[in-house]
Amino acid sequence: MKRSISAVLGIAVAASMVLSGCGGDGDSAEGGGLKLTLAGWSLATTPEFKTLADGFHTANPDVTVELKEYDASNYDTQMIADLSAGKAPDVFVQKNLKNFYTYQNGKQLLDVSDVAGQLGDKAGGMANYQVDGKTYAVPYRNDGWVLYYNKGLFDKAKVAYPDGSWTWDDYAAAAKKLSTGLKSAGSQALGTYQHNWQSTIQGFAAAQTPGANWETGDFSYLKPYYVRALDLQKAKAQVDFGTETTNKLTYQAQFGKQSAAMMVMGTWFIATLRAQQEKGDADKFEWGIAPAPQFDKSTTGTAKTPVTFGDPTGLGINAGIDKKKVDAAKKFLAYAAGPQGSKALAGIGITPADTKSVTADFFTLSGVPNDDVTKFAFGTRETKPENPVSKHTAGLLNVLNDLHTAVMSGTKDVDTAIAEAQTRAKNEVLNK
Amino acid sequence: MAVILPARRRPARRVVRNTAIGWSFILPNFVGFGVLTLVPVALLFYYAFTDWNIFGGAQWSGLANFEQMAGDSSFWTALRNTFYYTAVHVPLTLAVSLGLALVLNRKLRGVAFFRTVAFFPYITAIVAAAQVWNMLFSPDFGPINEFLRGLGVDHPPGWTVSAGWAMPAVILVGVWRDMGYYMLIFLAGLQTVPAQLHEASTIDGANAWQRFWNVTLPCLRPTTFFVTVMLTIGSFKVFDVILLMTDGGPGQSTLVLSQYVFQKGFEENQFGYASAVSIVLFAICFLVTILQFVVNKRREA
Amino acid sequence: MTHILLDAPAHHARTDDGPAPNRKRRGRLGRILGYLVLIVAAVGVLLPFYWMVVSSLKTNNDVFTIPVKWLPDTVVWENYLDIWRKSGMTTWLTNTLIISVAVTVLQVLTGSFAAYGFAKARFPGRDVLFLAYIGTLAVPWPSYMIPQFILLSKVGLVDTRWSIIALQAFGALGVFLMKQYYETIPEELSEAARIDGMSEYGIYRRIMLPLSTPALASLALITFVTTWNDYLGPLIYLRSPELRTIQLGLSTFISQYNAEYALIMTGSVLSVLPIAVIFLFGQRYFVEGVSTTGLKG
Repeated sequence: MKRSISAVLGIAVAASMVLSGCGGDGDSAEGGGLKLTLAGWSLATTPEFKTLADGFHTANPDVTVELKEYDASNYDTQMIADLSAGKAPDVFVQKNLKNFYTYQNGKQLLDVSDVAGQLGDKAGGMANYQVDGKTYAVPYRNDGWVLYYNKGLFDKAKVAYPDGSWTWDDYAAAAKKLSTGLKSAGSQALGTYQHNWQSTIQGFAAAQTPGANWETGDFSYLKPYYVRALDLQKAKAQVDFGTETTNKLTYQAQFGKQSAAMMVMGTWFIATLRAQQEKGDADKFEWGIAPAPQFDKSTTGTAKTPVTFGDPTGLGINAGIDKKKVDAAKKFLAYAAGPQGSKALAGIGITPADTKSVTADFFTLSGVPNDDVTKFAFGTRETKPENPVSKHTAGLLNVLNDLHTAVMSGTKDVDTAIAEAQTRAKNEVLNK
Repeated sequence: MAVILPARRRPARRVVRNTAIGWSFILPNFVGFGVLTLVPVALLFYYAFTDWNIFGGAQWSGLANFEQMAGDSSFWTALRNTFYYTAVHVPLTLAVSLGLALVLNRKLRGVAFFRTVAFFPYITAIVAAAQVWNMLFSPDFGPINEFLRGLGVDHPPGWTVSAGWAMPAVILVGVWRDMGYYMLIFLAGLQTVPAQLHEASTIDGANAWQRFWNVTLPCLRPTTFFVTVMLTIGSFKVFDVILLMTDGGPGQSTLVLSQYVFQKGFEENQFGYASAVSIVLFAICFLVTILQFVVNKRREA
Repeated sequence: MTHILLDAPAHHARTDDGPAPNRKRRGRLGRILGYLVLIVAAVGVLLPFYWMVVSSLKTNNDVFTIPVKWLPDTVVWENYLDIWRKSGMTTWLTNTLIISVAVTVLQVLTGSFAAYGFAKARFPGRDVLFLAYIGTLAVPWPSYMIPQFILLSKVGLVDTRWSIIALQAFGALGVFLMKQYYETIPEELSEAARIDGMSEYGIYRRIMLPLSTPALASLALITFVTTWNDYLGPLIYLRSPELRTIQLGLSTFISQYNAEYALIMTGSVLSVLPIAVIFLFGQRYFVEGVSTTGLKG
């Protein structure tokens, strides 16, 4: 029995270690330079982290920023695991707002209101990171959704380019006209491509419909957007949702290989498309961007500010960071979100937080179209967050994702799906 | 199966000695198992009664999680789907793998090749397999529906993008994947069937079916029992096949309990609630397993 | 459960040689039909593989075309060279191999050792403990993944190969499987050995182990394959790119180069080949075992 007693003791010790909660581990500062760790993903194909790290080091030679690589599609799962064990890096990216809430609510982020104050209102999207009057992260990218279009295919189908005056009905009509026009011109391409993410439809619906607020549990604002999307599918102006999912179509290939004349997508695609055209992974063709289609005529035209949606990508400081490094970390955040960082990012085609001061640099890059409509779409927009940040965000997103797959696959009709989603939201999410 | 020899002299000492010997065998495995599995699982039982968002401490919340579960329609959907999957997957896989083992237990020409073929699905990376099967099941362009249309079926099912056919599609892939694994176990088990028994019953005039029923099957009982238990538990716990093929969709038609746990825990950060759901899943598995143990013990007598 | 033992021991190679001679003609037709059925079934089972192999030889854009292309337009053999260059396939293979071998050895040894204790020794609490073992099999892993992770990180094992090895090597599956198998080995053999003065350890080594080779081989293979295919474990525990296993490597590769379908398929095919080869050459051990002359019972 002696052996079992020592076994039990061992278990008790282990259990008490776990129950005592987790503390943060900081890296001790090495003699000489200070080292900050920064989380990033897909380092080989996502140059923005290295750009920021190197740029900051050039401006502050006594601080090195070391990159830690995470898996792009499971970034938050891995980060949560690391944070819970106290092993997360000093500065980590807020990949989406949904998990920003998780981290902030879990007290994993340091208060960086002073950095936010320095930056003022130049950094777009800052408001999203404010909770109870304090700011917990700063944006270094502020992407928004715009309309990409293929000039060559438009010419082939004899349709006029989008000029910033389109509503969704104009867009749908153009898509259908493009499909028929392209077909008679002998092309296999379709009028438009809408990727199968829930945000493609729901993001626009929430941002553009006046008064839409999912926290009320009323999802009727989604209906017109879904009706339009289903209609485009039926008219064969857009690939079927089922085919998109089972064949894992990628939006990069659909637009880049000219299988679609138009696409609504985020501004992050500008950098990707540019790089792919240079490398040969995408066809070389003339393209441009226009403001996303609008809810109604009140926000169309280049004299107004179009409304679109998009989540900022931000940087937050690990609350468990070594006290000696806090200043350096804050400096890094200020750099990334400020004009210097924005300039560096624009140089590789990324849409930085501060778009206004880099428009000139951005549009001198090779491979980026620089017509007026494109410049307008890039620089002038009201970007609302894809979803508001609260403790209900994650739950509501899941409910709405089920609605999305059910409706787009034709399993449920729109009204039934919305009604069910509202009931589920009330019983499972909003009552907490 | 007992090892106690006639223990009339100093029985207590014998018991201690048996215990020591027994533990000496078990200990190497138990050290690792106890610390790495038993402790976290025990903690799970604790967390099920708390409200825990993983970062801070867990706050005791009593039965709140279970009350929430009772009124949670998604939980009941997941439970229903899990039972659906298990009820079809277990008998189907059992039949297929046993059949394969029986057929491939002979000196056929090329039997090595056929056994390897049956085992292939099990060793493929699930990531790749899910992607390939999704494509094969593609409703408009996939070869399976093209084949069905060729046979004259006008409206072939939508498979993974239709609510009614998504689960059958996933079950099919599950059987395809697991049959090799259990075939292997049955093959090993078939080695314990004494050849003499077969010869004896052939001499007695029994045909192949009678031999199977009266000789092979009874001798296979411990193996069949093991396979059934593992298959049932595995089906209740099914996770990666569903996650990678349909992610619970379309809608919630293939949402199963393990996935619901993952969603609540890692996506919505409700680890306390996720733990409570896990306990329910565990209780179901456990009860079913005990039931199987009892049935097995009774059959043995 | 009783075994009827005739004059020879029960465990030797057992194969069925086919129907009796006087039913030869009917047997032959049956055999041909049987082969036909097997071949058709094999084609059905292998269909996904055929597609994977064919895709691995295509260009990226030809993989997911509408409609499906069953033969590549141009055969791109370079994919099988590119995969080593572009991805970390060599690293992944090495890591996965190291981990799988370590886990298999540990699992088979400690598992069969413990199973003997459960099957043959009797001591108070044995059945309860065994039930606890089986009980943990019934708990889905995502549930206790986090407490386990916290535990292992406190000991500093996270982001090392040891974490994965520790996770898998002491599972309940091996114990359960071997215990079932040991129960089919007649008690008389060990009784005889005990009377001859052999210790329990000796019985384990000289009688149980050799007789249970099919089960041990199956357990070894299953453990090897499970560890080889494990995705969630490496995802949660490994961060450094040089520690990645094949599953994790492939999935990160997919998310980085998500349009490089052909290469992804190439990687998948390569990840299956080693095990297929091992199985092809070793599969007869699962059936025939290592034949032993029976110990007189």
